[in-house]
Amino acid sequence: MATIVVLVILAILVISAVGVYNRIISLENRYQNAWSQIDVQLKRRVDLIPNLVETVKGYAAHEKAVFEEVAHSRQALMNAKSVGESAEAANQMTGALGRLFAIAENYPELKANENFKMLQEELSSVENKIAYARQFYNDAVLQFNNAIETVPGVFLAGPMNKKQAVFLEIPEAEREAPKVSFAG
Amino acid sequence: MTSRGAGVLPNVITDAATGRRINLLDWQASNRRMSWVLGLIMVALLGAIGYLLAQVTNPGSALFFVSVAGFIGAGQSVAAYWFSDQIALGAAGARKATKDEHRYLVNVTEAVALGAGVPTPNIYVIDSPAPNAFATGRDPQHASIAVTRGLIDMMDRQELEGVVAHEMAHVRNYDIRFLSMLAATIGAIVILRDLVLRWFQFGAFGGSRSRRSSGGGSGQGNNRGQGIMVVLLIALLVLGPILATILRLAVSRRREFLADATGAYITRNPEGLASALEKLGAYQGEGLEVSEGVRHMFIVNPLAHHNSMDLFATHPPIQQRIDRLRRM
Repeated sequence: MATIVVLVILAILVISAVGVYNRIISLENRYQNAWSQIDVQLKRRVDLIPNLVETVKGYAAHEKAVFEEVAHSRQALMNAKSVGESAEAANQMTGALGRLFAIAENYPELKANENFKMLQEELSSVENKIAYARQFYNDAVLQFNNAIETVPGVFLAGPMNKKQAVFLEIPEAEREAPKVSFAG
Repeated sequence: MTSRGAGVLPNVITDAATGRRINLLDWQASNRRMSWVLGLIMVALLGAIGYLLAQVTNPGSALFFVSVAGFIGAGQSVAAYWFSDQIALGAAGARKATKDEHRYLVNVTEAVALGAGVPTPNIYVIDSPAPNAFATGRDPQHASIAVTRGLIDMMDRQELEGVVAHEMAHVRNYDIRFLSMLAATIGAIVILRDLVLRWFQFGAFGGSRSRRSSGGGSGQGNNRGQGIMVVLLIALLVLGPILATILRLAVSRRREFLADATGAYITRNPEGLASALEKLGAYQGEGLEVSEGVRHMFIVNPLAHHNSMDLFATHPPIQQRIDRLRRM
């Protein structure tokens, strides 16, 4: 009789452990997939930049400082190895592109260029998509972190070697309109 | 527990106006369950009509009538599940949006889908100046969103995001499957009613007189039985659509409020949708010509001149929706 009780309790423990394990894994997959959605948009932005820079140079070749800044952030993004580095380079690029578009405001012919208008729409929607994807990512990270820090997940997080995932911060600069820079 | 198609939205949405909490997972489950129930209702209803028809014409072949009618009902349900999106899109005159032609709309929809954590739905455009939008399909993996040209022209980015997020909420909440099944059920009842009315007009009842002797039992009793059956048949055919309408009204008002709240959560910007609804409510131009079967699927009633307070309104008054969004 006692053995049966022990066996039943063991079976219940094993079944619940499997449930908790699966939940942690699926939440981990969810936030990692959410990150890859951001990554897709970051890559898309990197791909759009050479075309944009060429178009702008056709009208405002002397605005060298901003071209360098854009090129620099693009390089940083392509070299980024971790989520943190990517996020930092991406924020830098957002700032640089903001300044580039602000400069474009001073060139009516550039603003009327069809290709430029298309690129501007594409880049601002990429920016928008990054914002949405980041929101989803942060939600997913919150769920994952909650799952591994609360009972019962906390008992398995150690043995499974799961650590807290990092949130992506929205930099202050991004919340306000980009400032026009006349440097260079 | 993870639910199919669910992203990382909160599971509970609190209605700011009433304080009532609605669990989204329960809502999704209920929509999926009710879709099944509607499919079965369709089979049962058609079976019942088949039975009554048999009683009126030839009671001996009741089994045949019921099986044929039930089979038609089942076929309707299956067709509604698989093809109702194509039918609804066709009925609304929607055509597929292309990235070249509708870059703005496609980009906005892709962005909102990222925020909602659902695959990007198929995007359609309806060539009408009246601003409106609807969603259809059977699940988030097979969903379509259609918006009118007027909506794209009239809304700024945040407002368009608000409207698209509202439609995305219908997709995520499985409202689209439920509404597709409902539209098919109502459509089937209406078609049947029209068929039977025509059949009455052509005086098909004359034929039943000759069969009276083969029916067994006394002629008098059979006559009365026939009379009752005819009354029942008429009642069923008349009451059916009325009941369906009341059901549709009851369910769709709450559905719209919930989609507003879910949509506002997806964009984290209730003001976008509130401002879009304000523009939709203020629109005074020509209406959008769509059939009765798909009217309740739109974000606002497509009829140009309607009284939003009347009993048969499929949508809550726009001002009430705006107020709730602004209080979030």
